[in-house]
Amino acid sequence: MTFLKRTAFGILLAVAGVSGASAQAVVKIGQIEGLTGVNAYWGFMPSQGARMAVSEINDAGGFQVGGKTYKLELIQMDTRGEPREATVQFKKLLEDNVQFVFGPFLSNVFNAIEPIATQNSGKFLMLAGTTAAHARLAQPNSDFLIRTYNWDAGPGGFGTLMVKHLKALGAKKVAILYPNDALGKTILDLYGKLFKEQGIESVAETFEPGTKDFSAPLAKLASYKPDFLMPGYSDAVLYDIVRQATESGLATKLFIVRGSIGPALKNKDMIDDYIAYVPKYFEGAEKTDPAVKKFVEDYKRFYKTEFPYDQAPLCASSCYDHVYMLVQAMKTAGTVSDVAKIRAALVAQTYRGLWNYKFDDTGEAVFSFNIVHVKKGGDIALTTVDPTATTAK
Amino acid sequence: MIQVVVTQMLNGAIVGALYGIVALGVTLTFCITGVVNFALGAFMVLGAYFTWWCHEVAGIPYIPSVFLAVLAVSVLGYLADAGLFRFTRNHLVNGLLVSIGLISIVEASVLLIWTATPKNLSYVLPGVIRVAGISVSQIKLVISAALVAVVAATYVGLTRTWFGRSAFAYAQNPEAAMLMGVNTARLETMVFVYSTSLAALGGGLYASLYSIEPSLGGFYILKGVEAAILAGVGEVLGSLAGGVILGISENVGSIYLPSALRDAYGLVFLILILLLKPAGLFGGKK
Repeated sequence: MTFLKRTAFGILLAVAGVSGASAQAVVKIGQIEGLTGVNAYWGFMPSQGARMAVSEINDAGGFQVGGKTYKLELIQMDTRGEPREATVQFKKLLEDNVQFVFGPFLSNVFNAIEPIATQNSGKFLMLAGTTAAHARLAQPNSDFLIRTYNWDAGPGGFGTLMVKHLKALGAKKVAILYPNDALGKTILDLYGKLFKEQGIESVAETFEPGTKDFSAPLAKLASYKPDFLMPGYSDAVLYDIVRQATESGLATKLFIVRGSIGPALKNKDMIDDYIAYVPKYFEGAEKTDPAVKKFVEDYKRFYKTEFPYDQAPLCASSCYDHVYMLVQAMKTAGTVSDVAKIRAALVAQTYRGLWNYKFDDTGEAVFSFNIVHVKKGGDIALTTVDPTATTAK
Repeated sequence: MIQVVVTQMLNGAIVGALYGIVALGVTLTFCITGVVNFALGAFMVLGAYFTWWCHEVAGIPYIPSVFLAVLAVSVLGYLADAGLFRFTRNHLVNGLLVSIGLISIVEASVLLIWTATPKNLSYVLPGVIRVAGISVSQIKLVISAALVAVVAATYVGLTRTWFGRSAFAYAQNPEAAMLMGVNTARLETMVFVYSTSLAALGGGLYASLYSIEPSLGGFYILKGVEAAILAGVGEVLGSLAGGVILGISENVGSIYLPSALRDAYGLVFLILILLLKPAGLFGGKK
């Protein structure tokens, strides 16, 4: 009898264990960013942050929706910034029934996968930071899309606020030096209009991606005697442009809307003023915001490496906070598969994490950011702007 | 405006000297082995990264860092020749395939080890020299002088030493050179290794001017080939001149026309020259 009782008890335990295991389902999140290649700058931090968030949620036992426990599975693809590669990877994610896709940040990649995304609208959600997503949100059949980076223009747009800040400093003429590619052309159009609205004259030169010697376009722009040079759009070119502009004296006041303050700090004895839009100045926020301090410490522990302060601001898009926001939206909507309800819940959220975050009515992000001035010698002055406090729904 | 044009001509000449050093490597390898070695771009990348690592990570001063990088890449060049390229002598297609394959391997390895984030050397000799409204950075002047000196030394070596005369003899008639006692296998290897060391030197000097990325080699090998063709393949001093002319045409063209089409100006100039002189500017001489 004792043997039979023990056997029965063991069988009961095994059944309970199997039942417990089968009750734990998985929600897949795909991520398509360039993790290598010349534009890896845009994909690195989103991939790092998302991976950390997924690990934290899973280590805490997952999350509950409708009485069932779910864990997250993150499938990260490296597009290398190549539209063709991204198309193949994106198709594969959809074929594998991935319903939530983080990324892309790159406009050329988004433009390549957009037709496939549109065909599959209603079956999945894309949380993309790319500038190209802004125009797509305004078009019909964009329910698959949420843009996770704030827009430059509009009343709460960071570009509008930055240009107003520049006007307040007395700027009358700005020279723009941007790559001759999809994002470069968008930025040129956008900021040409923003400057005009504020009564600031602007001239522009473009350069071929991959250029390292900027002496000719800088000399051309210098002949217009601008108050500020607006170079861009990633650190891959900023380091060279800032060095060459300041070393030759062609431009010592710079206005940055994409890129870090790293180039300013490297050339700190040659710049006069380097005004940068920084989604979050982590070096400062770490000292004042407990959530940021914890994130930095957790990052170092998780990846066993130094915290990448210069790249961390890009965690504003499709990154750490967004995994938690998605989980919260699933809980609010009471479903992990009805993407329409989840999207509605996401867009209605106001989130306080590393950033103060919400979405406007079209599904585009509005979040707090910093305006950083790096002065000659490396002194830093910081202004925090929080459009979430003023943006009406 | 004159100052702008003169400044850009100077900048173009300096950038062109970098094209020229790669062009010299292309020309030497082609003349001796019959292969256009596109992998010289990969060796330039390695020279740049090794210089960066020695200077920024290991803390070695810049000039010794460049020498160490050239030495290390020369060893790698020897191994590449011994293991790969010696099987492709005078087989153009095989040599091209091997060199293109090597570019992919080197670029992927550099990406894996050092990632795609551009690396910046601490500034070596910062500051500019200004004369009559014309300004040029000091490091650019020093580097161009170094490159000119290397090309000149190469020319002297090829024309005044036994080894150099053997190389010329072999380029003109391999069988005759062999019959005259030239160790052709050793000659081919030495020229190959010397070409990779020139590319590495170009990379090491490049690193002091600009940020470095794994993809820089692809850009510079194309410029090197353009410059070699412009000058006429086989012309040692002409390769430097070809690079300088290419650099100047790109920079001056960018002043008057859109900078976004900078690469096209050099190509247009190349096409015009080849239409008038198919053997290149300095080619076709006996």
